Amino acid sequence: MKKNGLYSKEEKLFQDKNKMYSTQSVKQIVYSTDVRDFGQVAKSIPCQEACPAKTNIPGYIRCVYEKRYGRAYEVNRSANILPGVLGRICSRPCESACRHGEPDNGQSVGICHLKRSCADLKPSSHRIIEGLYAPTDKTVAVIGSGPAGLAAAHDLASLGHKVVIYESTDKPGGMLMWGIPEFRLPRDLLMIEIQNILRLGIELKTNTAIGRDITLDQLKKEVDAVVVATGCVSPRMLGVDGEGLENVHNGLEFMMAVNAGQTPYVGDKVVVIGAGFTAVDCARSAIRIGGKDVSLNIRKTIEYMRIDDTEKHEAQFEGIHTHSLVQPSKIIGDGKKVTGVEFQRTRLEEIDTPPFRMSVPIENSEFMVPADSVIAALGQSSNIAAVSKKLGNLKKEGHKTGIKNVFAAGDFVTGSSDVISAIAGGRKCARHIDELLVGEKRKQIVVRCENHATTDRPRSYDFINKVEMNTIAMKKRLSKSTHEVETGYKEKQAREESKRCYLCNLKYEIDPLTCIYCSACIDVAPKDCIKMIKNVPVNSDGTYGEYEETGQWNQVLSIAIDPANCIRCGQCLSVCPMDCISVTKTELIEIDS
Amino acid sequence: MPFNDHYVIIGNGPAGNHAAATLREKDKDAKITIISDECVPFYYKPKLTEFISGTLKKEKLMVNTLESYEEKDIRIRLGQTVEKIDPDTKSIFLKHMEKMDYTKLIIASGGRQRVLPSMTSFEEHLKFVTSYSDVMEYKEQIKKAKDFFIIGGDLVGFRFLRMLRTIGKNVSIMIYPNAFWPYNLTDEMLDKITKRLSKYTPDVIVKDDISSIESHKNGTYQVATSKGLEKKVDMVFSFNGLMPNIDFAKGTGIDIDHGILVDEYLKSNIDSIYACGSCAQIYNPTIKNYTVSIGWPNAVTQGKVAALNVLGDQKIIKSVGRKYFDMEGAMIKTTWWEDIDDES
Repeated sequence: MKKNGLYSKEEKLFQDKNKMYSTQSVKQIVYSTDVRDFGQVAKSIPCQEACPAKTNIPGYIRCVYEKRYGRAYEVNRSANILPGVLGRICSRPCESACRHGEPDNGQSVGICHLKRSCADLKPSSHRIIEGLYAPTDKTVAVIGSGPAGLAAAHDLASLGHKVVIYESTDKPGGMLMWGIPEFRLPRDLLMIEIQNILRLGIELKTNTAIGRDITLDQLKKEVDAVVVATGCVSPRMLGVDGEGLENVHNGLEFMMAVNAGQTPYVGDKVVVIGAGFTAVDCARSAIRIGGKDVSLNIRKTIEYMRIDDTEKHEAQFEGIHTHSLVQPSKIIGDGKKVTGVEFQRTRLEEIDTPPFRMSVPIENSEFMVPADSVIAALGQSSNIAAVSKKLGNLKKEGHKTGIKNVFAAGDFVTGSSDVISAIAGGRKCARHIDELLVGEKRKQIVVRCENHATTDRPRSYDFINKVEMNTIAMKKRLSKSTHEVETGYKEKQAREESKRCYLCNLKYEIDPLTCIYCSACIDVAPKDCIKMIKNVPVNSDGTYGEYEETGQWNQVLSIAIDPANCIRCGQCLSVCPMDCISVTKTELIEIDS
Repeated sequence: MPFNDHYVIIGNGPAGNHAAATLREKDKDAKITIISDECVPFYYKPKLTEFISGTLKKEKLMVNTLESYEEKDIRIRLGQTVEKIDPDTKSIFLKHMEKMDYTKLIIASGGRQRVLPSMTSFEEHLKFVTSYSDVMEYKEQIKKAKDFFIIGGDLVGFRFLRMLRTIGKNVSIMIYPNAFWPYNLTDEMLDKITKRLSKYTPDVIVKDDISSIESHKNGTYQVATSKGLEKKVDMVFSFNGLMPNIDFAKGTGIDIDHGILVDEYLKSNIDSIYACGSCAQIYNPTIKNYTVSIGWPNAVTQGKVAALNVLGDQKIIKSVGRKYFDMEGAMIKTTWWEDIDDES
């Protein structure tokens, strides 16, 4: 543990205390399938719960702290298969849920940056871990090599099935290759992580589109099952006059051209329409290929933009202006080329079912914005008919389609989402197919519980400021569209940021039979996390509900630590005179059924 | 016991105080509460620079005394921060875990310092003059310091620069064209301002950017610019205007954009919630757009109008005060209510 003198005196003392505890305690490990334990994990570890792939975030952050970068990478990869990629471009639902970002707790932990650090800092001789099953003699075709297709292919291959991926373009990766700009995701890194998947013996057939080069019926005859994961590639149109003018680009096609090394004409004034990641990628790409006055134009307000705060910040930092509450009513041109956009102002209005704020155009509020080019990035939808008209009736649950043994995964089923959701979808789909092919469930998720004795971190770590990501200078970032903007944490920075994680996978519990109700723990708790409770209701799914608090001693059933508010500071543990507070490490893991 | 309305006002600036005074004038029985995260009564924020230099005493800085609130039977809660609003139950939640119910709520929370996107990584080294507590924290330090670096340059920033020069300090200023949010300075405006400021300090930097700010152990800072300038200074101040201070309203169901979105009656999308002053983004039916207002007179008028409308009136807000600010010779448009670009 003591490597390169990285630990301070305070940390060493803390570790010695830790060792003392660990030699005194007997490790007990329990693998639980109790619904109450799943409920506790969901409530206790908000980052993991928010992650569609259920990545063990506290687990890998702890590995970064311990300088076990290879292990950290594998903890990540066991859930999300492309850690280096996602460490750069994940939409970060985990960070929005991070307890460190709650009021009074500071800023959320830089989870995504730490994920990238796992990939950046792992040794070059790092060993990829794959739990391979014996060959099954079954073959599965995966249509599409985007994140969902790759995830499904990886899991099916490791489960022993022969997998063939059909990719319509000349390179694998789908949206990762063609939709996301290189300044956010270097292609050499993407190809390394794709190769790590293909190395399982997966055959990749590029320039082969199902529905164009081979029909789905033909393919189905050759294999035992098919996964359709062609994503969402049909752009939504503006539906206004002038859309066909020269220099009016569609967002995805624009990004595909830029990512293919072309420089579509943008001119000086670039009007980007859209509020999602593609719109921001288009705007940031446009400024790199010559746009001088680039604006993002959104129907609603900045609050409703479907991008994370980092993207908002980077766009603003690079000089992109956002105009909210506007929608295009007409594209204006000189008969051939675009010269401007007529916008209407909008206001927000509520629709009741489901409750939702929608934008409504304001009558006679039209105004004109001059433009040399327009990029409409309104999102995409799936093109079911392009694969097969018989597919219809897609089901999210079970990933089934209208055709027997043909499954669907990722954005193709859910509509346009994000990479981590697509990966999670691909993996779930693979589980369903495996069950169909071998006739049994071979994997299951359990809660691994291990007694832990200490907090694993001093309280002073709670006050460390978030470590900002390093970036290249503005001049360099705008000089070429392939210069990666973020350069990653240095090792010391990664370790400093890793200290900030509360380690919410540690569950603190008070043993009511030993507790003498002295309330010393309540007195020292920095948050309102230790409560006098009179009842713990049980939800309809069998999990525990919100604690019912009481201020009356004669009603107190127990003093309890609320896992949803606990910041794992360990203050309660250090003052308890009865040693009645236990710490248990709880992790979701996948084991053989 | 008869039920009296409880009007809660978030913010203790000109808009909040004039709203409270108007409510009291029109409704003698209502309970009125002002909540402020600052620990002092209502004061003249624009005069903070004079207070730093010592030309203005604390008594003159204050607009209201604590007694004046008592006389009007207005409850003032100082040093208390609103964390969340629940429009469904008409409650607000304070940081110290108190829940407060309201009949009608007026948000007049003003602005907070705006940090340019390029400055966020140096934010910990920047100082601001946006509140009384900021000033109390730095006042003595300013007196002892010799060399200052100012980034940005809004109206308060230029006033601060002049004040520093008056008390004999060395000042470098880097002007950002977008410091006077939401308006951008043109090259012509920038030239005028640079010329005028050069009378006060020889160190006016334009068309450059900060590349790094590093702190030294002795408390000084090393400021480096993209064009290679290096300055060792005692304090670095940022003046890039204010942003609506509305974080507590995010995710509560209240429509927000840059500020709280309100109609021409200053009412938000929630019937019982109004907003006024520089935290509000007001819809103007004439120009069919939402904009944020600035300046003390606008805040005062909006506070009064919001209060009258809370009480059932239907007053439409109008712009008051100056149409332009004189920024060291450059005229900056301040009115938000009418399109004055075409006026001569």
